[in-house]
Amino acid sequence: MRDELRVPVSRDADIVTARQLGRELAAKAGFAGSDLTLIATAISEVARNIISYAEAGEIRLGLASKDGYPGLFVVAQDHGPGIPDIDLAMQDGFSTGKSLGLGLPGARRLMDEFEIVSVPGKGTTITMHKWRR
Amino acid sequence: MSEPSVSLPFRVTEFAPSNIERRLEFVNLGPEDRARITIIKPDVVDHLDEHVSAFFDHLVKFEESRGLMSRRDFIDTARRLKREHLIAMVGGNYSHDYIDQRFRLGQIYSRASLEVSLFMGAFHALMASIGRRVMHRFPKDPLAGFEHFLSLKKVAFFDIAIIADAMMADREQTIRQQQEAIRELSTPTLQVRERLLVLPIIGLLDTQRARQLTEGLLQAVRAHRARVVVMDITGVATVDSKVANHLIQTVEAAALMGATVVITGVSANVAQSLVTLGVDLGRITTLCDLQSGLEEAERILGYRVMRADPPIEAV
Amino acid sequence: MPVPILKQGQILIASIQAALTDHDLIQLKDELADQVGRFRSRGVIIDVTALDVLDSFATRTLRGIAATAQLRGAQTVVVGIQPDVAIAIVQLGLTLQGVATALDLEEGLQLLRRPPNRNRTS
Repeated sequence: MRDELRVPVSRDADIVTARQLGRELAAKAGFAGSDLTLIATAISEVARNIISYAEAGEIRLGLASKDGYPGLFVVAQDHGPGIPDIDLAMQDGFSTGKSLGLGLPGARRLMDEFEIVSVPGKGTTITMHKWRR
Repeated sequence: MSEPSVSLPFRVTEFAPSNIERRLEFVNLGPEDRARITIIKPDVVDHLDEHVSAFFDHLVKFEESRGLMSRRDFIDTARRLKREHLIAMVGGNYSHDYIDQRFRLGQIYSRASLEVSLFMGAFHALMASIGRRVMHRFPKDPLAGFEHFLSLKKVAFFDIAIIADAMMADREQTIRQQQEAIRELSTPTLQVRERLLVLPIIGLLDTQRARQLTEGLLQAVRAHRARVVVMDITGVATVDSKVANHLIQTVEAAALMGATVVITGVSANVAQSLVTLGVDLGRITTLCDLQSGLEEAERILGYRVMRADPPIEAV
Repeated sequence: MPVPILKQGQILIASIQAALTDHDLIQLKDELADQVGRFRSRGVIIDVTALDVLDSFATRTLRGIAATAQLRGAQTVVVGIQPDVAIAIVQLGLTLQGVATALDLEEGLQLLRRPPNRNRTS
């Protein structure tokens, strides 16, 4: 239905591919400057999350619009073990420097909308949106 | 200049196929409508000049249309596009190309400063011209004439919505660009010494502007190879927690680029707000005025300012 | 693709040319750890000018490189972080604590030349 790009993610080189495609798509949607890097970085985080915890999955990217503002969506989906405690996973491990960090709280900070659905044993789907100001 | 360039990035997303279908659903355009439109097609395409003239003759009555009507190149293009528009309107194919055409028309009108309200008046004159021809086709059955015309009106309303959206989007883009320009003007970066930049901030500091400030400051650091930036917020009346956080982030980002940011001009008001909000400025150096800031910056850079000769006396 | 590492006296300079995969980063970390010991370097400069993204893995690795180098007597300076990247790092909430940063190679070399107590870490 929506026009979207799909990037299979199973090797770490795919992380670079996914974020570069994301950057290009964001540029097409009219994002500029630091937003492009923010989006690419968020994609990098969720893509790495797939590899670290699910071994393989897929990133889907596409354009979207809300209330007349253009933007883009990023969906990171895997069929891995799932995240048993989402609240815990979404807690900030970064600034303490302690935890490995799932990269998810970081990605949430960079994007405007962030949704995570995870079923243990079935997999995880993360949906993010960013809108142009 | 021939045709104004079509450059709205909105098009890509706003008119994805699903959006077009939805818009057609909104006007409830169905197969019976399409059949009726096919029947009255000649009433439109056989009298193109008449209908197009109705549109432009209406406009010329109002001085608000001077922006469009005085420009030969605009009128010629607009007239041609209007003819194509009418043919397409009864063509039955309302896909991406159709939308593109509407959009371009809308952009032309917007660039010529045509008001949406005046456009509506002219469009109505156009529809009236078509309506008369359609009613003529059904002299013995005015109800049928009305039904056929209504089917065409659905497409007309579909069109108006797109053209109006295009005009407003174009207007909004212009406003955004102007705001952008104003913001840039009001935050100049001054190179005071080698490696030392001063950034005086005046006026309302909202998150949008703060973000722009950050980008501008960092780019200036790179361009001037600055090691110290004195950011003076004397001219800023209030700072909320979001903006305060932005300032902190600016300082941290500059540090990643090897530059120290010294904040000066923190008013009593702002200082109190920051304390109340519980904002922790941590290791960020803040000073009360620009002069202290400059002295601190010079100290960091290793300058010592001494007077060599007695001051020159005014005559 | 391995990152070229130049030896300039007692300083190692790693110049990253293009986007690095996680494996490339780990390789760089191992290589630098090895060379610092081998050449008894006292400084390491990592030039990230060409990188358009520095995510959590990259910053963690940089911190790791700095920590390892420090244990072997060398100070690390990361240079060339671009404005957009700096903003992203800060907004992500990442930190390069323990790693000195400078604008570019020239600044980085100057920083290493300064006496220790005037050095600045982020």
